[in-house]
Amino acid sequence: MSLKRTIHLAVLALSTVCAYGVVTSAQNTAAPAVPRTADGKPDFTGTYQWPTYLQGDERGRSSATVFDRKRFAPLKPGGEAFLEPRTGVPRHDEPRDFCLPAGFPGGMLSGNAMQFFQTKTYLVMVHEFQRMTRIIPLDGRPHRKGLEPMYYGDSVGKWEGDTLVIDSVNFNRWALDDFYYTNSKEYRMHSDALHTIERLKWKGKDTLSYELTIDDPKIFTAPWSQEFQIVAKPEWDAAGLYEYVCEDNNRCPGGKCGDEEKK
Amino acid sequence: MKTRLALAACLAMTALAPLAAHHSFAAEFDDTKPVKMTGVIKKVEWTNPHIWFYLDVKNADGTVTTWGFAGGAPGQLMRRGIVKDQLKLGETVVVEGFRAKDGSNNASGGRVTFPDGRNVLTAGAQDRTPGEAR
Repeated sequence: MSLKRTIHLAVLALSTVCAYGVVTSAQNTAAPAVPRTADGKPDFTGTYQWPTYLQGDERGRSSATVFDRKRFAPLKPGGEAFLEPRTGVPRHDEPRDFCLPAGFPGGMLSGNAMQFFQTKTYLVMVHEFQRMTRIIPLDGRPHRKGLEPMYYGDSVGKWEGDTLVIDSVNFNRWALDDFYYTNSKEYRMHSDALHTIERLKWKGKDTLSYELTIDDPKIFTAPWSQEFQIVAKPEWDAAGLYEYVCEDNNRCPGGKCGDEEKK
Repeated sequence: MKTRLALAACLAMTALAPLAAHHSFAAEFDDTKPVKMTGVIKKVEWTNPHIWFYLDVKNADGTVTTWGFAGGAPGQLMRRGIVKDQLKLGETVVVEGFRAKDGSNNASGGRVTFPDGRNVLTAGAQDRTPGEAR
């Protein structure tokens, strides 16, 4: 990592810590009690809506949440590959149409329910969409080495006060988010150098703050961040997550529906 | 009456709520070819990644064509109060959507209107919905 990027990340982390300090000191009297595990850490176990926008942020046309372009850092020379055009080849343009994985962070922002389970050692995030499961160690272990790049990357978590910081690396080159459902000319492809930092903390009685930092040195001149909110949905606990097996009845992959299923 | 009002309110909210699905509408359906058909529900597949339901639609010459319609994911629909039993076999409904790109007798099933006038948005989120500006 270059010195410039290291400084950028340090400034980003510092500003977040400072902002958090100001907010928490201002809210000390009013802030609700944070649910905690037996060992005193904030407890995120529960059922939630997917990450949604804060007021004023750009929205996509589907229910999936997308990044706001005004958050993006400038593209580097060569970073134009981020806005890769569609090719007309369905497997490239719409990989999920063939039940291929949404990947992270796109899948995490998809418009479906999520359920989190937390132990001292792990936070397990299960997303109804494609039954995406992320198992995030919380015991301070380093990233795994020697793995092939992955759709969801390799994630490790650590606590910074009451904030859980999840660091992820080792990604495939894949769609960053669902913006191509909004504008077919903007297919946002992150590179295989993607590094993400998620900062998760309780913000209110039923709301988590979820800040995502996108650090993609092949695409952007600097890391950039966007905060979302994750709203707890205890009323969804009873039904739980519904099954999602994409391969079950994916009738029109690549736009080929046919007529043979109607008997 | 209260129950009916509550149901109507629930269905109205459902009609406004965006739903998510796994596919891009653009890959499978043609938003320049809206369809609106009346037919009898023949079959319902309450399956992932999208529900499918099939209507027997009578043609002008008296023959019948079975059309397939793709909606949202079952979990999404159920969490918003739409359950499989609402699509009753043998019931005559009106469905609005957009025709499949491959020219087959399939379409997106954007909105279903029941005999009593109630309607539900069964489309996936990325789908163009009936009446939406392009």
